[in-house]
Amino acid sequence: MDLIEVSGLTKRYGGIVALEQASFSARAGEVHALIGENGAGKSTFIQILAGAVAHDGGDVLFDGAHYNPANPDDAETTGVTAVFQELSLIPDLTVEENIWFRREPRRWWGAADRRELRRKTLDLFEKYEFPPIQADRDVRRLTLAEQQIVEIAKGLAKSTRVLILDEATSALPAKETEWLLKLTRKLAEEGLLVIFISHRMGEVRSIADRMTIFRNGSTVATHVTDEVSDDEIVAQMIGRQMDRLYPERHDTTTGRIALKVSNLECGSRLRGVGFELREGEVLGVGGLQGHGHRELFQSLFGASRSTGEVELWGRAARFNSPNQALSGRDGIALVPEDRGGQGLLNSMSVRENLTLSVQRRMTWCGLVDSKREAALVREMVDLLSIKVETPEQEAGTLSGGNQQKVVFGKMLLTEARVLLLYDPTRGVDVGTKSEIFQLMRDLAAQGYAILFHSSDMPELVHVCDRVMVLRAGHVAALLDRSAISEEAILRAAVLEKDT
Amino acid sequence: MSTSLRNYLLDKAPFLTACVMLVAILATYASLQRGVFSIDELNLVTGSAMTLILVATGQTIVILRGGIDLSVGGMVSLGTVIAATQFGTDPVNIVLWSSAILLLGFLIGAANGVMINSLQLQPFLVTLATWSVLSGVAMIILPTDGGSVPDWWIGFGYSELLGLAGPVWMMIALIGFWFWFKSTRLGTTIRATGSSEKSAFLSGVSIMRVDIAAYGLSGFFAAAGALYLTTQTGGGSPIIGKDYILPSVAAAVIGGVSLFGGRGGLMGTVVGAFILILIGSLVFALRISSHWQPVLSGMILLVAVLTSSLTEKTAKGQAQ
Repeated sequence: MDLIEVSGLTKRYGGIVALEQASFSARAGEVHALIGENGAGKSTFIQILAGAVAHDGGDVLFDGAHYNPANPDDAETTGVTAVFQELSLIPDLTVEENIWFRREPRRWWGAADRRELRRKTLDLFEKYEFPPIQADRDVRRLTLAEQQIVEIAKGLAKSTRVLILDEATSALPAKETEWLLKLTRKLAEEGLLVIFISHRMGEVRSIADRMTIFRNGSTVATHVTDEVSDDEIVAQMIGRQMDRLYPERHDTTTGRIALKVSNLECGSRLRGVGFELREGEVLGVGGLQGHGHRELFQSLFGASRSTGEVELWGRAARFNSPNQALSGRDGIALVPEDRGGQGLLNSMSVRENLTLSVQRRMTWCGLVDSKREAALVREMVDLLSIKVETPEQEAGTLSGGNQQKVVFGKMLLTEARVLLLYDPTRGVDVGTKSEIFQLMRDLAAQGYAILFHSSDMPELVHVCDRVMVLRAGHVAALLDRSAISEEAILRAAVLEKDT
Repeated sequence: MSTSLRNYLLDKAPFLTACVMLVAILATYASLQRGVFSIDELNLVTGSAMTLILVATGQTIVILRGGIDLSVGGMVSLGTVIAATQFGTDPVNIVLWSSAILLLGFLIGAANGVMINSLQLQPFLVTLATWSVLSGVAMIILPTDGGSVPDWWIGFGYSELLGLAGPVWMMIALIGFWFWFKSTRLGTTIRATGSSEKSAFLSGVSIMRVDIAAYGLSGFFAAAGALYLTTQTGGGSPIIGKDYILPSVAAAVIGGVSLFGGRGGLMGTVVGAFILILIGSLVFALRISSHWQPVLSGMILLVAVLTSSLTEKTAKGQAQ
């Protein structure tokens, strides 16, 4: 009899299916890994188990009984505790207050029993041989890795039968990772079921008894770790078909270097990235979420603080603000990830949105030359075939695809010839996607240099001239045209060895 | 300097800065006037600071929750006019009405909390609106300053026990309450929710209960401030409350309570309130125009805000 048995599990958000007909089974005393790409359904799956999200269909059996927790508290009472990647710690409480939050030992007059609290914390640390962490420090003063460890302590402080670790190692340095892996094994040997999510194949291999592979919102297969090869796993993680959505690619790359980056560092997220982007090239940036893509784009655009050398068209260029980055033909323009929040002003007109960043191009002694403005707006509306009744229409009333075209237009009007596109096709319909890809190739042919990140791997494979894979803030691989494939990207993103 | 001492100083820097400013003001004041460091002066200053301290106690709780309560101004006005028109002379009647005013304060505050939480409205706007409503009601009850309270009620500020005046004992009780309250389950969850609402929610905290308690306590303490104020003025005023809105926020901020929530405590607020009150005395002792008082208060507020911002930056740089 397995401890957890899941069959036909389904979850929809509006029209989007996050999980469909997933099945899963795991027994007490094993480490069971969940693997799959971003968006494959792993997070939804564990959120359901942890009581953070309710499922729409299917059945979960816990120890033979129906299991449908109303909230995380409820799940914990039953015996399922999750340590989520998104931390649930309170920054202004101390380590020990966080570990025992809402379960503090109390004296009869209602105040917390500080001495007992300390004793229990030190006992817990000793029992599981935690790395040294000061119990009375405020959590906001800790490093990300230390916070992750406190989060694990918080999970272990509850008596539980199932412990879910959601990418718990991704924030940890090598030594602490080793500790956690050892601890995970030990917990399983003590009879716990540990559900372990990691993108690092090496870790999964070293501790998991079995693994279940997720793809496109469903489970594909469960394997005994020792009986399956890396190749089989990667193939099952991808396993989908290619669309006819992509434009033809002609190599338009010239020898001229548009953007040269070396030793770019940004906090702990970007640790010495270097690459060259050439005129006429579309360079893809791939890898799994949270491995430095956002920081790379924001640093280049001057929206995040960073150190390192950046050369644009052969001249040193370090931007401290987007205002500097947008300085004309030698600048950089960005299509940000969050169209609504960062790229577009919904309550302003299409015209105002298009010309916001380029006031300088059409003003004369501070006055707007409205003829010139109208001409520029017309040019963009035509070039991008933005579907508007009039340029005065509010941008918020356009469809997602047309909104994205306005953001593109705004960027093109800056005349910058190095373009940063951060997930420009997210939330965009297939038709517009195809237009955007065509536009990207056309721009490349005109001599633009494009750095392109997409959370959707096939887009990188089919649109880019080269793909750079980031892992843990490093360039893990730089794939040439002939070497680009989903498999190669995924390998570089998840396997510890650099290819 | 050892790391743990350094960490301690960084954590306490905003509060310690307030203490240093208080000492500096006291030293200047003492150099200009005799008898500053005496029990009599302590009784006197505490007596004039107590209304602000009470109102700021409630404000501190709301700010720790990550909100702000402007309605305390309306509550103070309303409390004084109800007391001044209803008290009469019968002690039993007075006790009943006092309890009613405190309860009303709690209920109005709780209503603020419910509106802010259930309608997901800005605390600033909701409490601005209730402030206006309460001030209007106070005006209707008593259009101009007036009414009366019995003489023995007014005598509270001058009553003495072991040489310390009533207000000083009140402040001691308030600080005792705080050290108990902050580590109770309610106190901890209010601070936790102000620190990170999302994390608190994920940890199973009912945010609605936290909001009702935090704003309810703020209303309660504003009502207590109103009752105390009538012992000082001897009557009611429908407009007096507005003098306590921003000073109650300023006292907390000067004392190191973060407007982002979760950080700070009542000790800081009490120090902040004393700073604000003593600036008045200092300006008087310096024989300069009383218009210098807001100038000095503003500068002290700036120093306080800069200190917390700088220490946070230093601490962050260190953690990286």
